[in-house]
Amino acid sequence: MHRAATSTRIGQPVPRKEDMRLITGKGRYADDLNLDGQAYAAMVRSPHAHATIRSIDTKAALAVPGVLSVLSGFDFLADRLSPIPNKTFSVHPAEMPLINTDGTPAFNIPDYPLPVDKVRFVGEAVAMVIADSIAAAKDGAEQVVIDYEPLPNVTFTVDAAAPDAPRVRDEHSSNVCIDAQAGDAELTEIAFRKAAHIAKIKTWIPRVAGSPMEPRAAVGEYDPQTGRYTIYTCSGQTLRLRRDLAIVLNVPETNVRLVIRDVGGNFGTRGAIFAEQPLVAWAARRVGRPVKWTSERSEVLVSDYQGRDLAVEAELAVDKDGNFLAMRGSNVGNLGSHTGNFSMVQKGLEIMSSIYRMPAAHFRARAVLSHTAPTRPYRSSGRPEVIYVMERLIDTVAHQAGFDRVELRLRNLVSQSELPYKNPFGMVYDSGDYIGVMKRAVELGDWNGFAARKAEARKRGRCRGIGVANYVDTATGIPREKAKLTVYPNGCVDVVIGTVSNGQGHETSFAQLINEWLGVPFDMVRLITGDTDVVDVGGGTHSGRGMRLGSIVIWHASNKIIEKGKQVVGLLLQKSPSEIGFADGQFTAQGGPVMSLAEVAAAMNARTDLPQELRGPLLAECDETVNDAGFPYGCHVCEVEIDPEMGFVEIVRHTTVDDVGKAVNPLIIHGQTHGGIAQGVGQALLEHCFYDASTGQLLAGSFMDYAMPRADILPFFTTEISEVPSTTHPLGMRPAGEGGTTPALGVVINAIVDALSEFGVTHMEMPATPERIWRAIRGKPQRSRIVPDSIEQEISLR
Amino acid sequence: MPLIGRRSWAARQLGFSEFREDTASPLERAANVAQGMHMPIVSMTVNGALRSAEVEGRTLLVQFLRDYLHLTGTHVGCDTSQCGACTVHVDGVAIKSCTALAVAFDGAVVTTIEGLQDGERLHPMQQAFHENHGLQCGFCTPGMIMSAIDMVRRCGHDLDEHTIRRQLDGNLCRCTGYHNIVLAIRSGAAAMRPR
Amino acid sequence: MYDFTYHRPESLAQAIELVSAKCEAKLLAGGMSLLPALKLRLARYSDLVDLKAVSALEGGRREGDKLIIGAMTKHAAVAASEVVRQAIPALAVLAGGIGDPLVRNRGTIGGSIANADPAADYPSSVLGLGATVITNKRQIAGDEFFTGLFETALQAGEIITAVHFPIPLCAGYAKLLHPASRFALVGIFVAKTNAGVRVAVTGAGSSVFRFADAEEALNADFSPAALDQISVDADGLNSDIHASAEYRAHAIVVFAKRAVASALSR
Repeated sequence: MHRAATSTRIGQPVPRKEDMRLITGKGRYADDLNLDGQAYAAMVRSPHAHATIRSIDTKAALAVPGVLSVLSGFDFLADRLSPIPNKTFSVHPAEMPLINTDGTPAFNIPDYPLPVDKVRFVGEAVAMVIADSIAAAKDGAEQVVIDYEPLPNVTFTVDAAAPDAPRVRDEHSSNVCIDAQAGDAELTEIAFRKAAHIAKIKTWIPRVAGSPMEPRAAVGEYDPQTGRYTIYTCSGQTLRLRRDLAIVLNVPETNVRLVIRDVGGNFGTRGAIFAEQPLVAWAARRVGRPVKWTSERSEVLVSDYQGRDLAVEAELAVDKDGNFLAMRGSNVGNLGSHTGNFSMVQKGLEIMSSIYRMPAAHFRARAVLSHTAPTRPYRSSGRPEVIYVMERLIDTVAHQAGFDRVELRLRNLVSQSELPYKNPFGMVYDSGDYIGVMKRAVELGDWNGFAARKAEARKRGRCRGIGVANYVDTATGIPREKAKLTVYPNGCVDVVIGTVSNGQGHETSFAQLINEWLGVPFDMVRLITGDTDVVDVGGGTHSGRGMRLGSIVIWHASNKIIEKGKQVVGLLLQKSPSEIGFADGQFTAQGGPVMSLAEVAAAMNARTDLPQELRGPLLAECDETVNDAGFPYGCHVCEVEIDPEMGFVEIVRHTTVDDVGKAVNPLIIHGQTHGGIAQGVGQALLEHCFYDASTGQLLAGSFMDYAMPRADILPFFTTEISEVPSTTHPLGMRPAGEGGTTPALGVVINAIVDALSEFGVTHMEMPATPERIWRAIRGKPQRSRIVPDSIEQEISLR
Repeated sequence: MPLIGRRSWAARQLGFSEFREDTASPLERAANVAQGMHMPIVSMTVNGALRSAEVEGRTLLVQFLRDYLHLTGTHVGCDTSQCGACTVHVDGVAIKSCTALAVAFDGAVVTTIEGLQDGERLHPMQQAFHENHGLQCGFCTPGMIMSAIDMVRRCGHDLDEHTIRRQLDGNLCRCTGYHNIVLAIRSGAAAMRPR
Repeated sequence: MYDFTYHRPESLAQAIELVSAKCEAKLLAGGMSLLPALKLRLARYSDLVDLKAVSALEGGRREGDKLIIGAMTKHAAVAASEVVRQAIPALAVLAGGIGDPLVRNRGTIGGSIANADPAADYPSSVLGLGATVITNKRQIAGDEFFTGLFETALQAGEIITAVHFPIPLCAGYAKLLHPASRFALVGIFVAKTNAGVRVAVTGAGSSVFRFADAEEALNADFSPAALDQISVDADGLNSDIHASAEYRAHAIVVFAKRAVASALSR
């Protein structure tokens, strides 16, 4: 059970404020909004993975009763609207830059929300029908006649990189948008020559669907008097999304108001603009009524941004004592049909050596287009993939050379005295107790007691295995954030900030900060986010930036409030501000309380004898650009039992120690870890956006085929928080949202391979389905039917 | 048999492709509409009040609740009856309101998440979800709570972990990893025991 | 969903009249398969005739050596029924494992077998127990009822009213669960009766079928070990992204053993 909160200050497991509306059905998700006179949109989606659009005939659709308008990309062009811009790289200064090896610029092309030339994935929106009711809109959508000329397609990552693969973009000579190198080839080559052991892996981290439980939705409104659009939608963004919407709608940013209320999950795949957001706004202008669009789950699965999809070939060189010497290899990430985001080979490379001492490394990184739904960062973007590869390499070399898996890791973990440590890709890790955290996880997971549990399981006919995996995460994201605090005479505080909660509980944890720093009662803090009419700066929620940056700007703004208050109190008491103290919401003088924060706010509002700058509302702002990255890290231990007759795998124990630097709300942090683990386990065991290579169809196109983790495949988790202060954050905080997922793929697969080692199994591809495990046990090819055949082929990635 | 998913497989057997390009002619459609598929009036007691509306035959119970009665606490998370976000109680039994026709429940007594509270007082299961941090984004939560209450009806107040996990088969959550949901249901079930 | 006219007759006669009057009419039972298909616009009907108010179709009872279950009896009711648990506990187990609890609160036995989904659970019990399907027109032997993929011996205007299950000496059901849909990737119903052993397989073929080799082996020795030497040819079995024909072939034997063990444990 949870430790009960004893106050509402920093560090306390305070139950969440936002729960009250969410458990009573009063949440405000995008589809919950209905505007007067609203019409409904339905999308006509491509049945082809790749085809030329010869013509679009809307006559029959327009004849359907209730249909108001049918819009295609041709109308979009006629209205002089713009394509959706893509921002392919993170340009955060702490991030590893990626540059094409041949010096040419990376290929990047904007996308039309409705294409006019070709369709490039099954499920791409091609036309939009607007009608009086959703049923009429769908009836109309069925009557839109599109003449397609099907073209050859390519869906699988490695295949798409081939020079002769069907091309996604005529504008570019191949599907490879970036072909970069990282690390030092020469040093790596020298190190490999000295290796006593070399572990190799060739693997594919398959594509999965982020699958927030809330399907995408957007409601658009247009005011012809002011020329202003309002868009209500679900997103992890506010201001960047508004900027993108303004670009597409071809209006100044001030002519777009964006409102994000409750969001039913994001996990990154809802972090960027999606086509339907500008489309409903445009449609609202065209039909003169608000327009609402809500996707169905089968639409979500084919047309949401998807995640992962990285093919990796990697080697690890180790000396005779087990010291890591170098690693090398090649990563190919699948962008899908858009040049949306190269994160999977940027974040998904720069920490490939994890928190181990790695003297040299050299990798090739490519991102390729394919005829599949576009991919975007998904829960810990890129890092779970490469941490999985690193942790598999370590277990592989341990197995080959007879090293103990725990000792080998401990030997190579960067020690505290070596920090800050620059990894071979140039990333500088700040601080931490990597060894201590791993030792604690191994102890908490009772590694030493495993042999007895394995023996007991054997009596029941089950094969038990244990795995361990360390991880590190690079948290960057949009570096600028702003908070504005206003203290009211009744003692309430409003916090306006540019982050958006997608379920992370900002209303609670940010209120804890205010309670700690300003002494304002938790219940008297109100968080205001997600409305660009109120929020003018900020970067939304991604890359562990909500609390990491939110805390900094709220802290500085709180200090400004206190300083301002001290000046006011000093003036009123005829003392110097330096003689005024502040504690627990009270200004003090000579050790005793003299005025409360609320009283100061009241005085500033009421008194006319204060200097101009101290009159009016008691408010303060902090707008800061934080160019430091955060480096959360930790260790997971997982135990599985396998039924060798059928290949069923059961996760029986999962133990984590995650260093969050400083925990604001442990209840929320543990919850993040639980959910993160489940998403990792889901990918390791179940989930897969399976594209049929011959047709380009997504076969896992509904929850009837896309296997989501359910309660019965998971155990209770043992999660522990470590707090070694971060040195890149003024308050010592590290992000806490992605630690559950980042090492989960690796630790689960390591445990499964350990359980199967008695059968000579040395590797499992994901998802490790019962059939795959069953095949592995019997020495049959694992990948049959599940993975595109081409991964079996000897395609050199290097 | 070709390598295909279950849904597409079923669709093909029925003679449809996954994304169909055309079916009936517009004339046929118009004729169907003109023929007057008459609009039935449906009445049911929802959260204690009698509510009526003229709906289409194809109107789902969840659409009736959300679009006609503006009870937006009941959510739609999927289209194939897997996720359970739409769970409501009809005549005391939990069902997926996205897979039910509104007209079929004419005369029924329906309770939604909005109807659980006793005045200001939360239902013990709502309270338990709050105290155990059994929700994050909150989208699946109304369905989880309605389903959990039905679990107590079916399986009693003394629920062990195994039972809860198995009986939660019809509800998906993407945020919590179910850990705190299982804890919440266990404590909520106990708290629902009549005193 | 395409629109339709909805009917809710209160008697079987009315239902028959309604469904016979319209060529594009469809019977609606629990709707757990039909409504998702309609929502995905995979099917289209002019009229839906809902049987929920035909109270004569709901409920079950034991009559001598038969268990009679009305067509509109819900899975949850079958799973929870003391009568069923006493007479054919495997049937209660089967019903209690269909879909999920919320689906079981709505789905019906008649709907399930009329739909004849090749991966549904109930058809295996109809075939495995040698049940008789009772309609408004006739009695159809379980062996003749399922004729193909989503196809049955039912004629237009024919309505299932009940299923008569002969009570076996013992029976067991074991199922390889589909990871997403909760249907059976493979489901095996084994029944030992005075007339011999019957083994029915669902999920693995285009329709439920009997597993003759296993029946023969189990007739000689009703124990899991009797199936040790049995293998199933993968040729012609279902294969999809969740399980290849080869894996299904293996699962048929494994789950047959598990079903036998379950039958013997009661």
